[in-house]
Amino acid sequence: MMVTKEPAWHKPVLIAPLITFRIVFGLLMFVSLLRFVWRGWVSTVYIQPSFHFTYMGFGWVRPLGAFGMYVLFGIIILSTLFITIGLFYRIAAIVFFLGFTYVELIDVTTYLNHYYFISLVAFIMIWLPANRDYSVDVWLQPCNKRNLVPAWTIRVLQFQLAVVYIFAGLAKLNPDWLMHAQPMKTWLPACSYLPVVGQYMYQEWVAYLFSWFGAVYDCLIVFFLLNKRTRPFAYVVVLIFHIATAIFFPGIGLFPYVMIVASLIFFSGQFHTRLLSFLPFYRHQHLSLQQSVFEFRYNKVVTAALAIYIFFQVAIPLRFLFYPGHLFWGEEGYRFSWRVMLMEKAGTAYFTVKDSSHTRYVSIDNAAYLTPLQEKMMSTQPDMILKYAHYLYKQFEQKGWQKPEVYAEVYVALNGSRSCLFIDSTVNLAGQPISWRHYNWILPYKQQ
Amino acid sequence: MKKYRLVIAVVFAGLFLYACNKDKGGGATSSNDTFKKNMLINYADTLIIPAYSDMLSRLELLDMSSDSFQANPSLATQAALKEAFKNAYISFEGISALYFGPAAAQQLNNSLNIFPAGTSKIEAGIQSGSYDFTLLVASDTIQGFPALDYLFFSADAIQKFNDVDAASRKTYVKAIITRMKLIVSNTVAQWNNGYRDNFVNSLKTNIGSSIGNLVNQFAFEMDALKGPRIGYPLGKQSNGIIFADKCEAYFSGITKDVAIANLTSLKKYYTGGNGKGIDDYLNLLGKPQLNIDVLTQFDVALGALQAIPDPMSSAFSGSTATVEAAYREVQKLLTLIKTDVASATAVQITYMDNDGD
Repeated sequence: MMVTKEPAWHKPVLIAPLITFRIVFGLLMFVSLLRFVWRGWVSTVYIQPSFHFTYMGFGWVRPLGAFGMYVLFGIIILSTLFITIGLFYRIAAIVFFLGFTYVELIDVTTYLNHYYFISLVAFIMIWLPANRDYSVDVWLQPCNKRNLVPAWTIRVLQFQLAVVYIFAGLAKLNPDWLMHAQPMKTWLPACSYLPVVGQYMYQEWVAYLFSWFGAVYDCLIVFFLLNKRTRPFAYVVVLIFHIATAIFFPGIGLFPYVMIVASLIFFSGQFHTRLLSFLPFYRHQHLSLQQSVFEFRYNKVVTAALAIYIFFQVAIPLRFLFYPGHLFWGEEGYRFSWRVMLMEKAGTAYFTVKDSSHTRYVSIDNAAYLTPLQEKMMSTQPDMILKYAHYLYKQFEQKGWQKPEVYAEVYVALNGSRSCLFIDSTVNLAGQPISWRHYNWILPYKQQ
Repeated sequence: MKKYRLVIAVVFAGLFLYACNKDKGGGATSSNDTFKKNMLINYADTLIIPAYSDMLSRLELLDMSSDSFQANPSLATQAALKEAFKNAYISFEGISALYFGPAAAQQLNNSLNIFPAGTSKIEAGIQSGSYDFTLLVASDTIQGFPALDYLFFSADAIQKFNDVDAASRKTYVKAIITRMKLIVSNTVAQWNNGYRDNFVNSLKTNIGSSIGNLVNQFAFEMDALKGPRIGYPLGKQSNGIIFADKCEAYFSGITKDVAIANLTSLKKYYTGGNGKGIDDYLNLLGKPQLNIDVLTQFDVALGALQAIPDPMSSAFSGSTATVEAAYREVQKLLTLIKTDVASATAVQITYMDNDGD
């Protein structure tokens, strides 16, 4: 056999981390989706609303009606179990990715960074040989069993986590977070109900401690997880940090658990092999190296695809640099950038629809068109304000109004500052295009 | 490999601690936030429960006045009835903002004060003798204060109660008042039997918590003052075409009194009366200026309401600018409560997960 120098990311490594990842990811998704259904959110979020804030370019993604939505959720939940046990893994991963992403694309209102993370991981998992050991697939077809996989299959997941942490950390390096301990100063007093620690929640230094610890943690944790010597201690910090966030901010849902589970990918193949050996039927066989290496057929394509993926993962969170204005205020380029628990923002929006001659006008009761959650989210995010304005335009055009004009008087408070006028209330929003360009009707942020 | 044992041990220790913590999360016996607890005790014992008791006694008086009016329908008995009606309606404005917990379970506001009254449905019900006040939505507009307002004080009310077939009308009125008393006494009973303790021990700010309920209901109530109470009759939903008869307490003509009572009671709930209230909470949170501005805006809005000439139903068209000014001031107050106060107190409006943006 010819000895060719393989690049480091194609070097074979133990498959075990992928196996653990497949199992815990599948199980966590199973619990997460079941919880979503159990809490009645399928109905409140995807069935009851008459209007949805769609993503640009994904206007065709519509909810499927009550029956359709529950069937879709049923299929996605089923796919998580198939992923976990590794049966028809590739198909299950594709179904999960498409199904989950479809659901998330229905409404911007429910955008969460960790849902985006899940979609990305699901996409990556389609391409990974995570079913090549300890799965029903290899039990059915033992010849497919592999011991080793190219290093990049594990590195790409580590990369994804690194992107999450580091961008989340960089986002925290701003004056509000570091100098004013906002939004922690606003949120922590709400945690005064907690036993033992509750009494400290009004103390300013606690808010600063949380802010600075959070920023340092997010910026550096990946490096300590990558280093073999510091890894076990780093993981203890991961646990403490995320369990703390789950206790202090129960509203963030399953995000802490997603990160706790996903961070396991930093552990070595030997660690995961040992971990898996606690499970029934797990056999770590040393087959001859030659036959047990999983190989991709088109390594050049893989390398190119990885390069493109990495480029976009780094570029997307940085796209905000191309927009003028205060990022937290205008939120242009805010989503898909790992800005988690970063600001306290609240708003109130009063819409008025006028016909072109200004002889007819109506003050809009938002509750008649939006759910409370939709209204809350819309009131602080310019692109949602614009979409809602366009929707109102259509509603009134259908009622027979001549070229309805839509105006919005919106007041927003950010990170403990006092509310002030958010967008130009004299601009007819119905005439403003939805686009990636900067919305010049957003008023500049007044630093207080 | 020792290190990994450590990791696994910490995993389980962490999960165990977390599980323990979760168990205790709901109750607040373990917490020692005496400020919040004292504030909520103040709300429950000196404002809320007394407000319900007042409502109940006002309804008793209204019932009695109603009886004497029906025994002898005349201008004199109607005037006496109007006094009792006004007192009861004003008392209701003092509990309107408490539409959570027992009141929500009893559908209190939906049964007592959905206006404008469905006058033709009411007449049809009296005619046929078949009506069911317990139907949600469908029967909201045929009962409560708006229905009584119409039945007692519409133009030919006295004559209708003197008619030969007035018996069915009297039965209808009795049924309404009986139901109002029942709903309020059920609500009071629930507050006294357990809910009060839940209320004062709920120290979170999420949806369904006491502070969450109070702040969210302030905003809701102020929205109702801006919309149904002032904005809709003023034509804000109808191209500026005024629908004076859509206003609250239209027939008795006490629209302005109840609007002022509504906002006055909101201010009282904001300040916590003489005890600890949201105002003190904002000071504790380091927001004294916001508190001052909210208090000032309360007074500005109340002043703007008081400037409206009586009866307010005529003012919608007669002095539109004055009503419009009051509308603007109420909207400013609503913005402060819904945006700044809700944000400062970290009150949540839904159960949904969020990542804080």
